[in-house]
This record gives sequence, C-alpha cells and structure tokens, in this order.
Amino acid sequence: MNAFVAPGLWLLLLSLSTPLPAADSGTMPDFSGFWTVRFERTPSGQAMIERLPRDAVLINDSGAGELGKDDFAGLKLSERSQEEVRNYDYKSELKRENTCVDPSVVYYMQSPFPMEIYHGTEMIVFKMEYFDMVRIIFLDGRGHPPAAAPHTKSGHSIGRWEGDALVVDTTHIAAGTIMNNGLTHSDNIHMVEHFKLSPDGKTLWATQVYDDPEVFTGLAARYMAWRLVPGEYIYPYECDPSYGE
Amino acid sequence: MNRPFSWLLLSVLLWSAGLAHAHHSFAVHFVPDKIIAISGVVTEFRFVNPHGLVYLTVKTASGEEQRWRAETNSPNVLRRRGWSKTVIKAGDSITIEGYPTRDGTHALRIHRVIFADGRELPGQGRVLEDSPGLD
Repeated sequence: MNAFVAPGLWLLLLSLSTPLPAADSGTMPDFSGFWTVRFERTPSGQAMIERLPRDAVLINDSGAGELGKDDFAGLKLSERSQEEVRNYDYKSELKRENTCVDPSVVYYMQSPFPMEIYHGTEMIVFKMEYFDMVRIIFLDGRGHPPAAAPHTKSGHSIGRWEGDALVVDTTHIAAGTIMNNGLTHSDNIHMVEHFKLSPDGKTLWATQVYDDPEVFTGLAARYMAWRLVPGEYIYPYECDPSYGE
Repeated sequence: MNRPFSWLLLSVLLWSAGLAHAHHSFAVHFVPDKIIAISGVVTEFRFVNPHGLVYLTVKTASGEEQRWRAETNSPNVLRRRGWSKTVIKAGDSITIEGYPTRDGTHALRIHRVIFADGRELPGQGRVLEDSPGLD
C-alpha cells in the first residue's frame, strides 16, 4: 500500500473505485447454489489475494484454520484492544451463557460450514449454516442507513458489480469476535468484500478487507473459497446452550 | 490501581463483555497435534450444536473410575459423515481417540470413535490432512 494513503482511504477507494456500468442480469455471474468450503493447501484464488492492499494483514484462519491463544495474526492492536485481550478469560467461553453468542459477518463468513446463496437482481441472500446466520446484499442502488441506525451481526451490505466481480460494502456490524480467540471488533468496523466465480463456475472466491481503527492499525484481510455442490442444502444449526458448563 | 487505568479497564470490560465469543476455540483449549485414546462405557450422549457430547466412565489400570467428557466437532458436519443423535447410546463400550485438553482435564475433542464390534465413526480430522471436502 502507498504509505501516504491512510488505511481508511484505501478501503474507501476499494469500495468506490470507478464502477463499471452494471451489465444486464443475463451476462452477470450467478452465485446461486449450495457452496461448501474448499480446504486448500494452495489458494486456488491466489489472484484475489494478490489484489489485496499490499500492507493489509492477512488473517490465515479461513475454513479449518484457527489461531491460538494470543495469536492475532500480527495485527497491531490499539491500547484498548491490548487491554481487552490481556484480561480475556478463555474459560469464560465454556460457560453456558457464552456458548451460543452468534458471531458477526467478520467471523462467520470464514467458518468451515457451507452456505446457500439466492441470487436475485435486486438482492443476494446468503444463508449460512453456521449459527443459522442470514445476510442480505442489496443491489438496488441504495446507500447505507445513518450512522446511528441499529447495528446487527450481519450488518448492512450494499453491492455493485466491477466487471464480473461483486464488490460488497458492509457497515453497521455489531461488535463480535474477529478470530474467536478473545479479540473483539468494534461497532464501527467497515468491511469491503470481493466475490468472484472461477471460469468454470464451480468455485467461488472471496476476499474481505477490514478497517477498524478502534481495534487495530491499518487493514486486515481474509481470503475464502467454496466449491459448488449441486443438490445439497443447509442443515439447521440451532445452537444449544446446554453444551456449556 | 490508579484512576485512569481503572476507568480504562472498566471500559474495556464493559465493551468486550460477552462479545468476543462465538463458541470456544479448538486451538485455545485443545492440543491439535496430539491424539490420546480412552476406553469406557457411555453414560450419556447429546448431539447438539455447537458440539455434541459423549460422557463416559473410564476405569484406569488401578481400578479407579474416571468421568470423561468427549466433545465432537459440529453435529452438522458429522451428520454428513454418518452420525445421528442415536448413533451412540448409553451403555455402549467404546474407545475414543481425540485431542487432549491443554489444561489436563478429563476431556477431549473426538478424532475417532471405535465401537466394541469394530465399527468406527470419524470425528474431527487433522487439519488439511483428512478434512472433509478437501480438494
């Protein structure tokens, strides 16, 4: 990344870079279907990773990966977040009241669970198996609601096409875990995603870039990949808190 | 504790209380590169998300009876590998291979269940070695 461009501005540029005219729906990719995580030794969507801002910290925990205690992927944490992780009680995760706290879109998109996508012209709906989460990406040209509008774990997402890639800008995400190891993102996190199909249409790639100066300096990013599985469907998750102690 | 520090700590605790959870982290609580085996008799099986639970009584070489808690990875994942909520029953004699806890408590994450008649159920694989859906 250019050192003279602030991280937030980079995210804005990623999100708002010159949009290509939306093509008619007949020529746009169709993401519809049941998608299961590709557990990859070598990223099949390496080109997507190479297009990330150069100094974004890549969080390498997508799919089956998990970061351990005190491993925050090299992110430079704010003073408040350093304090948070210093005081974090890992055993509290095992308590009944914490067992079914649903993750935000920052964490649930990278989970090792499948998803269904319903792709329309005005919106795309993601139905996630993990925690039964649902997100809507509006494609009708609307903007985000006012800053003070309610926040939710899935946030408010608006999408637009850049060629054959879907660019999604998400705000209003309620605070939640970033890596499931004690670090929380703020209510003000801003996320930009790129979604793209492989040429054969059987793999869906995505990258996410996060900007959350209350929690870390600069940008963080993830890469994800799913493969299309015809005829499958999502099972209910229905988290049961009785698992907790 | 001086006042500014205590306010900072309080604000952090209020901000983060209950937020940083999804459910517990495997990497934090279990040893991912070690597998141990226990054998015993099942006392209870619950097949619920985020993790199924098998409670069993294990008799040690000295005759002591220990209560172990073995958790599965998500039942949703396991349903696609042949598990169901009745696949294990109280009274079953089983061997469980799994990842031990970091704190040494009598608990583990199931890698494989082996029944007395030789049947096997796959649990959590080793990451990128035998994960389901590996391309």
